[in-house]
Amino acid sequence: MPIVLITSPPPHEMGHALAQNLADDTGWPQYSRGQLVEEAHAHGIKLSRLETSIIKSPVISEQLAREKELYLSFVTDMLCGEIENKNLIYSGRSGHLLFPGVRNILRVGLGVPIEIRINNASKKLGMPFEKTQDYLKYLDEDIEKWNHYVHREQASDRSNYDLFLNLENLSLANASVLLQKTAELTDFQLSDKNLSLLEDLHLAARARLHLARNKETTGLNLGIRARDKVVTVTYMPRQESAATSISQALDSLEGCRENLCTMAETNILYIQEQFNPKTDDLGQVTQLAKRWGAAVELIRLVPKEEEAGSSLEDLRAEPLSANGRNGSTYTGGVEDDGPEINTDDGGLSETLEELVAMGRSAGGYTVAGAGREIINAVKENNNYSLVILGNLFLSKGPQASTRLTRELGLTLHDKLRTPVIDIKELKSEFLFGKAQAFKLVMFTLILVCIYGLVFNFQKPILNVIGGNLHEQWKWAAAFGLAIFVPVVAYIYGTVSGLLLKLIDID
Amino acid sequence: MEYIIANFIQINLSTALQVILLGFIGGVLSGFIGSGGAFFMTPGMMNLGVNGVVAVASNITHKFGKAMVGSHKHGKAGNVDKKLAAYILGTAIIGIQIAVAINSFLFKGASGHGVAKGAGSNLYISLVFAIILSFVAVSMLKDVLGSSKSGSTDSGPSRKIVDAMAKIKLPPVIYFKVADITVSLWVLMPIGIATGYLAGTIGVGGFIGVPAMIYVLGVPTAVAAGTELYLAMFMGAYGALSYAFQGFVDIRLTMLMYLGSLIGIYLGVYGVKVVNERYIRMVTSLIILLCVISRAIAIPMYLRQLGLIDIDPAYDVYFNMTSKFFLFFSGISGCLLILINVIRAYMQRRGIQKTLRVVKSTAE
Repeated sequence: MPIVLITSPPPHEMGHALAQNLADDTGWPQYSRGQLVEEAHAHGIKLSRLETSIIKSPVISEQLAREKELYLSFVTDMLCGEIENKNLIYSGRSGHLLFPGVRNILRVGLGVPIEIRINNASKKLGMPFEKTQDYLKYLDEDIEKWNHYVHREQASDRSNYDLFLNLENLSLANASVLLQKTAELTDFQLSDKNLSLLEDLHLAARARLHLARNKETTGLNLGIRARDKVVTVTYMPRQESAATSISQALDSLEGCRENLCTMAETNILYIQEQFNPKTDDLGQVTQLAKRWGAAVELIRLVPKEEEAGSSLEDLRAEPLSANGRNGSTYTGGVEDDGPEINTDDGGLSETLEELVAMGRSAGGYTVAGAGREIINAVKENNNYSLVILGNLFLSKGPQASTRLTRELGLTLHDKLRTPVIDIKELKSEFLFGKAQAFKLVMFTLILVCIYGLVFNFQKPILNVIGGNLHEQWKWAAAFGLAIFVPVVAYIYGTVSGLLLKLIDID
Repeated sequence: MEYIIANFIQINLSTALQVILLGFIGGVLSGFIGSGGAFFMTPGMMNLGVNGVVAVASNITHKFGKAMVGSHKHGKAGNVDKKLAAYILGTAIIGIQIAVAINSFLFKGASGHGVAKGAGSNLYISLVFAIILSFVAVSMLKDVLGSSKSGSTDSGPSRKIVDAMAKIKLPPVIYFKVADITVSLWVLMPIGIATGYLAGTIGVGGFIGVPAMIYVLGVPTAVAAGTELYLAMFMGAYGALSYAFQGFVDIRLTMLMYLGSLIGIYLGVYGVKVVNERYIRMVTSLIILLCVISRAIAIPMYLRQLGLIDIDPAYDVYFNMTSKFFLFFSGISGCLLILINVIRAYMQRRGIQKTLRVVKSTAE
């Protein structure tokens, strides 16, 4: 019983026709983007404003970002609601990008020859051939912008598709048969793990819509996640008065067994393989979070090859509740028949408990894989000021681990556009310790010497930079200044930065 | 005003403290607004008796070092689009060169000594300052008030110009990855020249560069500020070298400004993190308008020094005092508004430590 998501180029006739064929052949429920848009309008989602803003300009305000999240939540809610017996056919302009991070879903792309597209669009719109050609060109560009902003992906990235069909040499009927056969493969049957992920996405979407419709919480900028029926919400300090309302509103949300509301101006994403709440590392992270007014989101990263007993298709984000109860993790080997299940979560649940107690929790979960899997897991809630990479790839040697961590950092920085730092550099970059104190003293001494020299020998110095001597040494004076000034700025910048760091302002 | 040597004034403790204060206020404003701070520091130094060209030269040199430190910090946060900066820089150098040539001509070509010698350059700088910044402040204020009327609480900057510019697809059209924009080179060029010209003329490049990047090119605010600082580093270096070659840089003023500005910048940047965007733009536009008034008040004084109008020289003191009052009023009140928010946020952040957890009695 599969889910098939079809993406076709505008005017989308071929995609819809293929979806209809498949629905007729299989009896699976079918949904199109057109239906979604109508429903969205009926529910007050201002889709046209969102589309216009995205197409016209990449400068998106908080309000539009909120509308984008609402729209995505609406789509997720509608489609998940339509999934009967775990099957659904959806066709749209970027259908394959829906339900990020969930595997066992057949994501299909259609290649339609441009002549067919122009003919279809020309007939539909009653426009001449040349005008239709230009129209489609601009429409393709607009859809690319939409994908880029809404899904943070490019439609041309073939790695996002499971199957790409070129309809130039393939009839719709045969394409439908091909899809049906492919969809019946075991690879495209939703595993319990992926079903659970889909349910979490649905719960988070419902939570967002629920809060948007509640008069006490509507209009708030919230970060919302759901894992194993636990909904985690982060809200801004300026929305402090709404905290209780958020909790109360979520209390009536069906399917939510626990909710966590954390006040935070921003989030820090902390990725590590093994967590331990008693280590200095966590202390440093929470110290920084306190200074920034941030909540800490934990990801336990398990490299694919290390997840024993798992096949490739199982290597997805594993849900874990805020209190550490792991919903459906298969541990391998002989299962205990007692109530205690051996769930070694690498210290994640303990650490999460610690963060909840400190009022800094933004939730946590396990991800199996590397950069791409992490991005899929976090991209819908990307409100991070910093990504911290802790001890990772522990089974590799130190050099390989360093290299892989560095590569992961580059990938995350590139995709999330957020600073990424190694936990070892956290102290020197953001915190104040003995080394920083020593640096502060040394740089202050140097600074005092420089200022003392300049202000005690003003006349000869000014003579060189603008007086009689300057006429003879113009270039030397100019270059001397060009070297001297940044040195002073650097030294004093370091001193002032360290001083402010000392009193927790940065 | 007493001169220690050539164009450089005598600096006593009171003057030094005033320059440090100017630096601090300029730094706070610069960190908060994300562009320059020179709009306050340059006229501030002129009010202390520093010749306009020396004030600009010392400030642009100060900006060079400051931008170097700032852009490094922004670079780490991924807010610097080096490719965009390189394109703007290429054209900005032309603008700087034009500005340095005009300023030097007005200063060196003028007759008279001391104050009168610098009057032409002072008048020119004041006029450019007043005209350009009036335009920036009024546009910004209009934008903020417009968004207030529309009832939006968090709307971003106006996108009218971005939309219009996006239609210009005259090749070469270039994609800038960090800023995530695609723009024609022919749209970039005038921005670069204007930024360079203003940086070289009044030491204020960011006031055109940052809004232009946001309002004309559609660059995200953080990337615009980071890229402008990166750009300012090179423009500042070029401007500093040019002015230093002419002998106009007073290193003492530059160093005193650093004492205040670098601390101020940190506090201003901290303010940006904790204050909403509309408030930032509102405070910014009001501060700039007051600075414009301050400079406009000084214009009759320079006109008299050039012999273009006939006013009693005794009035110079009043012009100077009123100009100084408006400048310091705008800077100090703006700075206080920002610092109040910074302190409030600082106290609040220390208090933020709250996770509300609700577990339903019956799991569904």
